[in-house]
Amino acid sequence: MKHIIPDPLRVVGVSLIALSFAVTVAVAQKTDNPALAPAPVTSPAEKAAIESFENHVKDYVKLRNKVRETAPKLSKDATPEQIHAYRTTLEESLRNARKGARRGDLFKPDITSFIRRTLKNEFQGRDRKEIRDIAFETELKGVVLRVNYPYADSAEQSEMPATLLAKLPQLPKEVRYRFVGSNLILVDRESNVILDFMPDALP
Amino acid sequence: MRRFVNAKILLVAFIVAGFSISAPAQKINGNSGARSSAPSSPVKLTLPLKDGSLRFAVIGDTGTGSSQQHALGSMMAKYRAVFPFEFVLMMGDNMYGGEKPKDFEKKFAGPYRQLLADKVKFYASLGNHDQALQVNYEHFNMNGKDYYRFKKGDVAFYALNSNYMDKKQVEWLESELAKDTSEWKVCFFHHPPYSSAKKHGSDSQLREVVEPIFLKHGVDVVLTGHDHVYERIKPQKGIYYFVSGAGGKLRTGDIKDSSPLTAKSFDGDMHFMLFEVTGDEMHFQAISRTGQTIDSGVITRRKKS
Repeated sequence: MKHIIPDPLRVVGVSLIALSFAVTVAVAQKTDNPALAPAPVTSPAEKAAIESFENHVKDYVKLRNKVRETAPKLSKDATPEQIHAYRTTLEESLRNARKGARRGDLFKPDITSFIRRTLKNEFQGRDRKEIRDIAFETELKGVVLRVNYPYADSAEQSEMPATLLAKLPQLPKEVRYRFVGSNLILVDRESNVILDFMPDALP
Repeated sequence: MRRFVNAKILLVAFIVAGFSISAPAQKINGNSGARSSAPSSPVKLTLPLKDGSLRFAVIGDTGTGSSQQHALGSMMAKYRAVFPFEFVLMMGDNMYGGEKPKDFEKKFAGPYRQLLADKVKFYASLGNHDQALQVNYEHFNMNGKDYYRFKKGDVAFYALNSNYMDKKQVEWLESELAKDTSEWKVCFFHHPPYSSAKKHGSDSQLREVVEPIFLKHGVDVVLTGHDHVYERIKPQKGIYYFVSGAGGKLRTGDIKDSSPLTAKSFDGDMHFMLFEVTGDEMHFQAISRTGQTIDSGVITRRKKS
């Protein structure tokens, strides 16, 4: 009887194919709705730009979570006074911790190209008119675009289309995208502090 | 064989229709005669008020702090005296404008003081006018989350954040619904996938994402707000959709004439809704600020495969 010893490279190769298939299946299961497919990445440079952007946002989250420790603790059943104290302290602490923050710190040129192209694709076509209308119908009275300062808490917030959110670089739960007219902004979810913005992002 | 085929057609028709509902299609136009004076109509309950049933109320787009919102809150308390509902679902836009401590009092605690005193629980969802930290507010029972699930009796409730339906939320919803064996599944959130209102109307991009999930996992009823009107939508692929967005703001005359979506609509006054679930039946009644019944009916739960 001939005893065949498996070639280690072959085993690794087969395993990798199986793993790759499993990953593909898992991803397909999560995004089986074609509307939620991610935006196509066209080059290694674009992939690097997305990773770099996501890493910069993660760095921000590390910083804000450290800063957050200095704010009064906020329970899940807080009073309006406790909520107010938490928000104002967090807002001020973030501003101090990010002194000198400027537009373009997070939305660097390489990622803005990708985002602009994604927005252009997503907003193209007559069937996408509604998305554009949603972005532009938001009442923005009192909103001033200024990095490190809060989005006016009396102003409406634009609905972010689910299909678009699936295509933009993914954000941690502490940070959100929002449209202000044709501008795309990044805000801290709890304090509403504007972290960065892209002017005229919408095509 | 032919009889068998006919039976099959009937069965398919039943499954597609999903539910049966006993309420006529109708639009009630314009002003109902409501004024900003104190409500005076007597309480007229159309719900069965059965022992052991699950009872709750629904309000949407409430947070103005106006005298009309107060009047609606008083009418809810009046109805609760004869129909003791346990909790209230909020469709978002819980607070318009600022959110300083005095706003929580003016736009929420004040108008619903009687209900809060009676230990009625409120479960909120967030609208486009709401700040993120409302999830921590003691009376909104959101447990620090902008999307969450809770269960009462045989009914599972899913509060969603339709303002920011990111992949994390979509995946959460899909996985929670997939393992949910509750008899009834009710989702509530701000933006309506179907609406005949002129101002906003159907949010088709949201629908593109959530409707396949609702269908796949047997969601029975979807409650929304955003448009400041009342509308019961004709069943869409077997799911019942309601727009209940006039709990504090009203857009009179905003419902499109002869919309193919409308089973019943009302844009003449503010309103709230009452629900009663008993076994396979979910009864509902929509009530105006002056206490008039503007819609009522019963949804019969479809059999789940």
